[in-house]
Amino acid sequence: MSESRVLIIDGDAERSAAHAAILQFIDYRPVEVASATDIVFSDHRPQDWIAVIVGSEADFDRLKRFVDWLKRDRYHPPLLVLQPYFDRAVEHFGLDESALLPLEAPVKYTQLNELLRRAGLLRMDREAASVRRSGPTGNSAAMRRVRQMIAQVAPFDSTVLVTGESGTGKEVAARAIHDQSARREHPFVAVNCGAIPSELLESELFGHEKGAFTGAITARKGRFEMADGGTLFLDEIGDMALSMQVKILRVLQERTFERVGGTRSQRCDVRIIAATHRNLEEAIIKGSFREDLYYRLNVFPIEMPPLRERLEDLPLLMDDLTKAMERNGHGQARLLPDAIHALRAYHWPGNVRELSNLFERLAVLHPGREVGAAELPRQYRGALAAAPVAPVVMPMPISRDEPRGGANPAAELGALQASRVASLSELPPEGMNLKDHIEAIEMTLIRQALEKSDGVVAHAAKLLNTRRTTLVEKLRKYGLSRDLGDEDVAAEAESERVSRLRNN
Amino acid sequence: MNGSDMKLLRTLLVDDNQAFLALSKHLLAPMPSVEVIGFGYDGFDAVRLAEELHPDLIIMDLVMPGMGGLQATRLIKAQERAPQIVIASYYDDAEHREHAAAAGADGFVGKNAYEAQISQFLAANLNR
Repeated sequence: MSESRVLIIDGDAERSAAHAAILQFIDYRPVEVASATDIVFSDHRPQDWIAVIVGSEADFDRLKRFVDWLKRDRYHPPLLVLQPYFDRAVEHFGLDESALLPLEAPVKYTQLNELLRRAGLLRMDREAASVRRSGPTGNSAAMRRVRQMIAQVAPFDSTVLVTGESGTGKEVAARAIHDQSARREHPFVAVNCGAIPSELLESELFGHEKGAFTGAITARKGRFEMADGGTLFLDEIGDMALSMQVKILRVLQERTFERVGGTRSQRCDVRIIAATHRNLEEAIIKGSFREDLYYRLNVFPIEMPPLRERLEDLPLLMDDLTKAMERNGHGQARLLPDAIHALRAYHWPGNVRELSNLFERLAVLHPGREVGAAELPRQYRGALAAAPVAPVVMPMPISRDEPRGGANPAAELGALQASRVASLSELPPEGMNLKDHIEAIEMTLIRQALEKSDGVVAHAAKLLNTRRTTLVEKLRKYGLSRDLGDEDVAAEAESERVSRLRNN
Repeated sequence: MNGSDMKLLRTLLVDDNQAFLALSKHLLAPMPSVEVIGFGYDGFDAVRLAEELHPDLIIMDLVMPGMGGLQATRLIKAQERAPQIVIASYYDDAEHREHAAAAGADGFVGKNAYEAQISQFLAANLNR
């Protein structure tokens, strides 16, 4: 069951064959070359191999050139270098210690297996870091409030409970708290309690002593120990089994724990940040979450807002993602205005993670190209995709941030969308997303009302027989406030406030 | 639950190792709830076939040449009616499971205990 390819560079043919045999035994696919000169750079990419084993090389300069070529790819595989050559490699290759690992001769199956496991994890860690967001992004009121709360709680050692739907950036918030705290020079260790089977979680969190259970061939530190002096992020704590919840509660109360199979209590100096997408109060009622633990964790709650409630942040988030994709060599996803408008009308059940996944998808599937609404996956096209009926073009307003004159794809799309939404009165055979459809209708009518009232929100509100403040909220919700200019919306809100004060 | 109530999971298998694909198909064949509808050999295949075949379930290798299982999972999860995705790996430990979960996978199975763990996943997720 081959997992991947491992390159062996070794002038010693017998040793190379022995290593290849071990690799095959542990389900890797060895690729043997006698010298780095046998590798034609133009025929390969550094990521063609999960790791490179270096034995002996007659042409050391050529080997160095090979390593320099590898290093041009930030996700290059690590080098496992046989001990006699390791010191020279450290001196000449300029690789950090996570990318240069010593291999002891004679090579044993267990050692090689563990090094390759680490090599694979290293690649995944780098990849995960490249898609991880740098900080809570957005200028919406909701995100400004989140940033303010993070700044407020960061300097203290209080336990924090971050809640919010999946993909809203709970880990990003936790990292921001750590980075702004006095513990920032110490580790930030995250553990996903929902991803690890409950029988393994105790050992993962508290570590184990040698012989504690079958397979515990050496003692191992747990994540509490790894996070010593820093922050431990307990993600998806709502998925934790009750038996483990008791143990976490004890650590929070007494600040001590024991390794599995150990008897010595260890003190821990760790700040706890927990997160969950579950409603813990409901879980308490159902009996699946301990009330005492909830109150211990919920010292300082932060709720991450769903993306659909802060759609005005979409342009900033998109900009951030585009830059991150480019920086990390994932290619570029440039959206045409019609695609941007379609995304603004979407309800984002998967939140920022879904947006990030979409951008990665577009960058991979449409590298270097501009992507229009028609090339978005179907669900992002909303009502446009849900109702395949003949278009009847209706006049639509032109937003301020779109080019005037000539073709205006956003306006055309809006018109098309309006006509399709207006003519959809029967359920299509394949079904539809009712929420999307109703939102699309609402957005279309709001746009028309704004157009008729020359962008004056108060007049548009009158046409729609709704309160001005309600309309302002909806403009924010659908990201249409940018079309008006945020200052106009703020002025409307202020005018409403003043008029209310006068009436009082 | 009788046979007519049982949801049939249209399943796509993705792995760069053809022997494992054959073994996987063989192990899944007796399961009445599973219908293997296709095979892919890397992450690119997975993304393409997920769109073309609309499977209910993808069982996918973690490390594959070109595009691995984690990146493919992220890309597939951005498509309409994304299927459930189970990552299969030779290394079954907390870190690998966490990476799979972070990419959006719905499950993880160790290849060394493939039959038992995939059966467990199917039993827990058939009626979702």
